[in-house]
Amino acid sequence: MSRIINDFTINVATANGTGSQSSNLIILHSMFEMGVPVSGKNLFPSNISGLPTWFIIRASDKGYQAPGDETNIQIMMNKDTWSKDLDSLKPGTIIVYNEDAKLPVERDDCVCLGMPMTKMARGINPKLARLMANMYYVGALAHLLGIDEKAIEKAVEQQFRGKEKAIELNNRAISEGRSYAEENWDFECQFAVEARDKPSETFLIEGNEAVALGSIYGGINMLSWYPITPSSSLAESIISWIPKLKEGEDGGLTCAVVQAEDELAAAGMVLGAGWAGGRGMTCTSGPGISLMSEFIGLFYFSEVPGVIWDINRTGPSTGLPTRTQQGDLSMCYEASHGDTQHIVLIPGTVDECFEFGWRAFDYAERFQTLVFGFGDLDLGMNRWSTSGFDYPSEKMDRGKVIRTQEELDAIANFGRYRDVDGDGIAYRTLPGSGLAPILYRGTGHDEDGIYSEDPQVYHATMERLRRKIDGARDVLPAPILREEEEGEIGIIFYGSMENTIVEIDDILEESGLSVSTCRVRALPYHSEVEDFIDRHDRVIVLEINRDGQLYGILRKELPANMIPKMHSVAYSDGMPPRAREYAERIIQVLEASE
Amino acid sequence: MKPVKLNVINLEKSEYTGGKSSLCPGCGHDQISNVIIQAAWENGIKPEGIAKMSGIGCSSKTPAYFLSKSHGFNTVHGRMPSVTTGANMVNKSLSFLAVSGDGDTASIGIGQFIHAIRRNLDMVYIIENNGVYGLTKGQYSATVEKGSKKKKGTTNEQAPIDLCAMAINLGCTFVARSFSGSKKQLTALVRAAMSHRGMAVIDVISPCVTFANNDESYRSYNYVKANDEVLHILDYIPHFSPLEEVDVPEGEFSEISLFDGSTLRLETVGDEHDPTNAVAALAAIHEGAAEGRHVTGLLHYNPNQPTATDTLGLTEAPLMGLSEEQNRPSKESLDKVNAGFRAK
Repeated sequence: MSRIINDFTINVATANGTGSQSSNLIILHSMFEMGVPVSGKNLFPSNISGLPTWFIIRASDKGYQAPGDETNIQIMMNKDTWSKDLDSLKPGTIIVYNEDAKLPVERDDCVCLGMPMTKMARGINPKLARLMANMYYVGALAHLLGIDEKAIEKAVEQQFRGKEKAIELNNRAISEGRSYAEENWDFECQFAVEARDKPSETFLIEGNEAVALGSIYGGINMLSWYPITPSSSLAESIISWIPKLKEGEDGGLTCAVVQAEDELAAAGMVLGAGWAGGRGMTCTSGPGISLMSEFIGLFYFSEVPGVIWDINRTGPSTGLPTRTQQGDLSMCYEASHGDTQHIVLIPGTVDECFEFGWRAFDYAERFQTLVFGFGDLDLGMNRWSTSGFDYPSEKMDRGKVIRTQEELDAIANFGRYRDVDGDGIAYRTLPGSGLAPILYRGTGHDEDGIYSEDPQVYHATMERLRRKIDGARDVLPAPILREEEEGEIGIIFYGSMENTIVEIDDILEESGLSVSTCRVRALPYHSEVEDFIDRHDRVIVLEINRDGQLYGILRKELPANMIPKMHSVAYSDGMPPRAREYAERIIQVLEASE
Repeated sequence: MKPVKLNVINLEKSEYTGGKSSLCPGCGHDQISNVIIQAAWENGIKPEGIAKMSGIGCSSKTPAYFLSKSHGFNTVHGRMPSVTTGANMVNKSLSFLAVSGDGDTASIGIGQFIHAIRRNLDMVYIIENNGVYGLTKGQYSATVEKGSKKKKGTTNEQAPIDLCAMAINLGCTFVARSFSGSKKQLTALVRAAMSHRGMAVIDVISPCVTFANNDESYRSYNYVKANDEVLHILDYIPHFSPLEEVDVPEGEFSEISLFDGSTLRLETVGDEHDPTNAVAALAAIHEGAAEGRHVTGLLHYNPNQPTATDTLGLTEAPLMGLSEEQNRPSKESLDKVNAGFRAK
């Protein structure tokens, strides 16, 4: 039998709180250790213990990272979803199930492989049997796929670092699972892993931790935060790195952390820190941005730097708190009442999470405004490969801050909001300096910062603010273009869709469609985005939401003659995107537009 | 020509004044602004070292009317404490002087007020408390007494939130109540609050001359004057001139030492009040309120408590002034971080 090498999807169905995260990460890391290109998606519930959880592992020599179109191997551990999990499988699926669930597995069209996992785990340690049972499916998979024993051992060690007893028990359970499968299952699996040369420098990391490290290398001085899924791990990661990386010469820390009473307060603290001349940030998710909106307008109008990371989850309202979406993009771009516009940085890889983490502070201080980092649960809470983070390539940009009397004297007719250089960005002085003090305000103000309701003054201020943010376009990260020569069809996308786009592209190519792609990495969008649209006959805007939010922004800002060739493909069901779902929608829209 | 009077750092009082007030003539808030100017001047604080903070409302407009040499931030409604917190985190050398109102503090901003107290944020927090929303034309606020009646409309039937009692219950380290018409008492309290390290709350009854200065209002000038239960007569003795303003017979006063070395002398009137006793302070507030009286003076004092920045283990220098080398970890450290992940 010819085996299918490094190309399959495993779905593990367990209950939340049973320790399955450990066993799933051991599978993921052991395959990664062998050099198999692999990705893992944790589909977890908004719950501490008991509700169903799925973990999807995709191995792909082509580097596809989205969940595959169908499940090839199904692990069945959860009684509550048992029959639904079974019913969803295509004929021919390999089913590995815990016999001790004592539930029927009536799928004659599939390969059903049972193992008394709980009973065997009880043999090792009766108290821990519920947790240990999960290690038996690791052993089963190791047998079926041919995962290297040493790679497994290394992954176990990594998972239970320093806990010798746990390492020993779990290795034993995995080994027992492997032996049981060898001795009892008369089945040769058509799927297999094969070792590949793993570049020695690569490792897996969650997007949230990459942003956290980026923020630290951006010189963060204050983190304020209010816990919310899926952004909490970003804040907690910063907190865990501060003692190691943010220690001053006297041994004291150079970053303060405040767990705020709510998101409003967290945003207010960032504003206060930025106003006083420090680098402040907070991280949250959609509901938090909604609450912060009043302060977001004050950032914009009083021109104070600050950074907010939105790790997008599925909205609206409380929505699906543990599922992913790109549903907050237009909110971030235009949050708060009145006419506002904010800089939004949109990383698509963990390397960019790190880079935009430090750059966000530079843009915020340069443009004296709020900068959003826009991630999502998929990028933020799943593990992605990197070959290591690059040290910031540029010095910190502290923007136009006047720190001495001489600097102040050098500016004729100084005013806090006077556009001396013609770029819309005025000079500022800091509290405590005694230099040109003003009372900052969210009310209308003139060029000197004095309260004003004058129509001309208001209009001039709003026009300058528009000019200021507009001036950021070509300073912000340019789009990543992958262009075909034909120039007929272009796809614009952003963020975590990066991890699915190659597979979408391949599916389209199989259908005879040749497409170019353009990944937008910031708002307001770079002029190269417009050039890309200009070069193509038809342009799809692909995104993980219902309404086509980037499509809406483009429609609003592009020249009217470009609009007719723009088409939205927007879809969201809370799940990480599957390539075929989006590819088929693209094909439909293209056919309809011909 | 009159000789120019200078304070201890050789500044004229005019260095502490601000713009022209746009509040109603006779507003209690303007008297409080004058007290703030007087207190900051007499205490010899460098104007540039002060950060003026406020929320939204009549009271929150007043930072434009004092200390024009200080930076300030007139923020959003009820959220001034969080902005102050952020600024304090990156620059703990600033002296934060905040003005808020009863709507700003007791309603929309009550959460942030509570949490600022919980953190013992190092600031002076003055509430200009008139019991009504002035800018929106006279609606009752949450601090107005049950049975009080403003100029137009019906009598208030809801129980009030007593911000001093609440602050004491929350462990606030300096809690006082005063009256905008009691210039001497209020000046001593503001000066003492400026000498305190930690959160100093001063709830100042400040009559609204436009909407609630009628006799049926518990916060009118006439009512407060007739029902002000003064706990003690206060004298502030600055650390730089220990003999100033002392004229009380031995045995009829007690003294409180403040963080900067200054002293607050409490001259006994009637029953002695011990401000270090939180329960006694609460009893005085509630007993007075039951009889329709406003109890004024230094209600509670609990010094030497860690402030919001004390427990964070921060470096000595204000974080906003750190150089790039101090702020951004080295390239070598990132190499180690990368290597650490690879070794996992």
